[in-house]
Amino acid sequence: MTYIGKSVKRVEDQRFLTGKGNYTDDIVLPGMTYAYIVRSPYAHAKINGVDTSEAAALEGVVAIFTGEDVKEIGGVPCGWQVNFKNGDTMKEPPHPLMVRDKARHVGDAVAMIIAESKEIARDAADLVDVDYEELPAVVNAAEAVKDGAPLVHDDVPKNMCYDWELGNPKEEVDAAIESAHHVTTLEFVNQRVAPNPIEPRAAIGHFEAARDHYTLYTTSQNPHLTRLLLSAFTLGLPEHKVRVVAPDVGGGFGSKIFHYTEEALVIWASQQIERPVKWTSDRSEAFMTDAQGRDHVTKAEMGFDEEGNIVGLRINTFANLGAYLSTFSTCVPTWLHGTLLQGVYTTPKIHIDLTAVFTNTVAVDAYRGAGRPEATYLLERLIDTGALEMGMDPADLRFKNFIPPFDGVEQEGYMTQVALQYDSGNYEGVLKRALEMVGYENFRKEQEEGRKNGKLMGIGFSTYIEACGIAPSAVVGSLGARAGLYESAQVRVQPTGKVSVYTGSHSHGQGHETTFAQVVADKLGIPLEDVEIVHGDSEAVAFGMGTYGSRSLAVGGSAIVKSIDKVLEKGAKIAAHKLEAAVDDLEFAEGKWTVKGTDKSIGFADISLTAYVPHDYPENLEPGMDFSSFYDPANFTYPFGAHVAMVEVDKDTGKVTLKRFVAVDDVGNVINPMIVEGQIHGGLAQGIGQALFEETIYDENGQLINGSYMDYTMPRADDLPSFEVDRQVTPCPHNPLGVKGAGEAGTIGSTPAVVNAVMDALKPFGIKNLAMPLTPERVWRYMQE
Amino acid sequence: MHLEGTHSLNAPPQEIWNLLMDPETLARITPAISRLEPLGDDKYKAVAEVKLGPVKGSFEGQMAVADKKEPEHFTLLIEQKSRMGNANAEGRIQLNPIGDNQTEVNFTGDAKLSGTLARMGQRVLGGVANSMVKQFFQNLESELKANA
Repeated sequence: MTYIGKSVKRVEDQRFLTGKGNYTDDIVLPGMTYAYIVRSPYAHAKINGVDTSEAAALEGVVAIFTGEDVKEIGGVPCGWQVNFKNGDTMKEPPHPLMVRDKARHVGDAVAMIIAESKEIARDAADLVDVDYEELPAVVNAAEAVKDGAPLVHDDVPKNMCYDWELGNPKEEVDAAIESAHHVTTLEFVNQRVAPNPIEPRAAIGHFEAARDHYTLYTTSQNPHLTRLLLSAFTLGLPEHKVRVVAPDVGGGFGSKIFHYTEEALVIWASQQIERPVKWTSDRSEAFMTDAQGRDHVTKAEMGFDEEGNIVGLRINTFANLGAYLSTFSTCVPTWLHGTLLQGVYTTPKIHIDLTAVFTNTVAVDAYRGAGRPEATYLLERLIDTGALEMGMDPADLRFKNFIPPFDGVEQEGYMTQVALQYDSGNYEGVLKRALEMVGYENFRKEQEEGRKNGKLMGIGFSTYIEACGIAPSAVVGSLGARAGLYESAQVRVQPTGKVSVYTGSHSHGQGHETTFAQVVADKLGIPLEDVEIVHGDSEAVAFGMGTYGSRSLAVGGSAIVKSIDKVLEKGAKIAAHKLEAAVDDLEFAEGKWTVKGTDKSIGFADISLTAYVPHDYPENLEPGMDFSSFYDPANFTYPFGAHVAMVEVDKDTGKVTLKRFVAVDDVGNVINPMIVEGQIHGGLAQGIGQALFEETIYDENGQLINGSYMDYTMPRADDLPSFEVDRQVTPCPHNPLGVKGAGEAGTIGSTPAVVNAVMDALKPFGIKNLAMPLTPERVWRYMQE
Repeated sequence: MHLEGTHSLNAPPQEIWNLLMDPETLARITPAISRLEPLGDDKYKAVAEVKLGPVKGSFEGQMAVADKKEPEHFTLLIEQKSRMGNANAEGRIQLNPIGDNQTEVNFTGDAKLSGTLARMGQRVLGGVANSMVKQFFQNLESELKANA
């Protein structure tokens, strides 16, 4: 292999690092107008009227639309149906493009100004007079279901979207917990965080009446799905006349998977005024309107027998969905969270009871890891706390409970109590390696010494698993997905032997243009420079299901491999004809077909040219060399790993310093180690951010009181140690590349490792549980109590 | 957001009461209020200029005087709107006589903020608000001296 497994430098970085990227907001179309959206300053308020007359009179204002103008449009849909325990369909209140009856969160859209410039639109917005009547708000998930809580949607009783359960029969789990030798009980708040990609969202709608054609440029991880939803649901557009382009996109972390109201608004408005309409969010607007992540309130119990074997796990969670259902919000706390509660342990009895509620906050949806970090946090906090309570070593307790290694080929995949079958795993392997890197025994000695000298050092573990490569359409369909989750790829070999690859996996930082090209170049035996990866434009790429859930290489890459197989199969037929040999007598290596045992061969470019200039050509074979494939995997993929955090807590200030962070991840086969490492690093920073710094805070009136970078703490380089990362490779047995996905591993594993380390450091104080983020103030206060 | 403060002034309650009930004086001494226009029934149109840390702007809204008991106490109800968000505040002013020529003025209030004001101002708001209460008492004191 020339490229696979090598740290090839990212080809896309040339344009990114020289400021030559082309982002949605960079696009300027002739006749462009600019939209600004008037948003509710209240979390919950009746709207008695909207007076736009003064704003409309401002010079340069082109049009103003309000909720009244879009009342006939249904709103944006939710892509996943979850049912109540009793079988009833979840409550699915409309998510209108703009509201006219009442605003349900700070930032809810009330009116849209369209003007000749962004500045005029913004000025005009100040002149719109909205008559609000403020209503009491509810922001906390556990409070929202109580009697007398304000109703976010008048026709949704107790604000309950659905209740849901998964696992073994409740009575069996209750019995296992009741009869356990020891039960560790913890109450958690998995706080809400803001995804904060560096590029805020933007959208341009361009309706061309002359050809009855709609174009949407948008900051999306998922342009084809947006096109499908716009056509089939939101606006009912003719899909064949809709083009959705997601050009360079500056990060998403989940928040750009979803179909947002603004995307529909700019298209609809462009149709009304017959000019292009651009909307660009600013950072504050992003805090108010981008889907946020996490936000669970949980009671968790883990039962152990005398030896420390886990005998049962019982979870009760309230999940906050925000004011409206976002595209995938309903599946995050359920099928991406409850299904991960087996973790890497042999727990025989598991039950989760979950209630998903509406509150007067912006929507919550998938954020890097999506549900899996919440599940991992519960398990890994429980097991470290259990070790502490039982006087056992947290690493030993894990070794005792690990599912034994299995490769998914010789040994079957591991069937969990919570609906999934793991593909392959070697969980003890990653922890063993991590302990070697840490120098565990040495650390414990240093910790003991330190304690004598008043130094608070701690070590925390996290051995996580995640379900990635999302995933088999039939499975997700049976679980409520309203879309298929395969991926498509087209490999077009040009006559000169250069190759254009059209992939449905969008890249917004992951480096697809490099990794995918490495795969293609190696499989075809051609130079990397001869491969171009095209993505993000529905007019160029036939179909796609986007990038999320660490699925790009496992699902999108596999679709490319399928098309390459078709190219090679056809190429062999042409080569056989040219070499006057049988197909079976040929072998393909290093970019040429050779008759086995001879020096008779023909190169890839000769064959591709012949395919397009078929003068001397096999009978009954079509000309051309262009293949599309759809790949629908047999299962999710299950990356896993062991993360170890080492911290020191300043006993005078409560400040937590992360001294070392060791991560051993197993993401299956690796195409580009440097890119995988980069993904791990970024993920670790975000997971550590949640543990130590980040939290979106709503006050009791539903006001988001830290909606700016002055108030919301993002992790910075000097908050983090130099990460020590290593890998183990357990290939995925069911996709052709043997890959599992690396995008979310860092975020999923790191958060509990850091919190566990802080709890270990604070052991002399008898503190078992602190709410994240572990800010100096919070830690200091607890140390004083 | 909760506001409070207490200040002793060298004047009887009635004198202070008279000052506070005069809209021009009230506008002059209340930090951030630049103008009060009577609308009748103890209601006023209020125009305010505020600078709170990173947030700066002008507000327009209504102020009403309620729960009046001369010369002991009254409540100010303030509803202000601006491009940076809205403020709803309620403040109770209590005048307690101390001896013949002295009064303890007690202020307690709550303010509810929304929009940018809530999102960006909150961190610095508590400090600013308390200094505004202090400013109010100082202005009131100067006003009394000027009238003496």
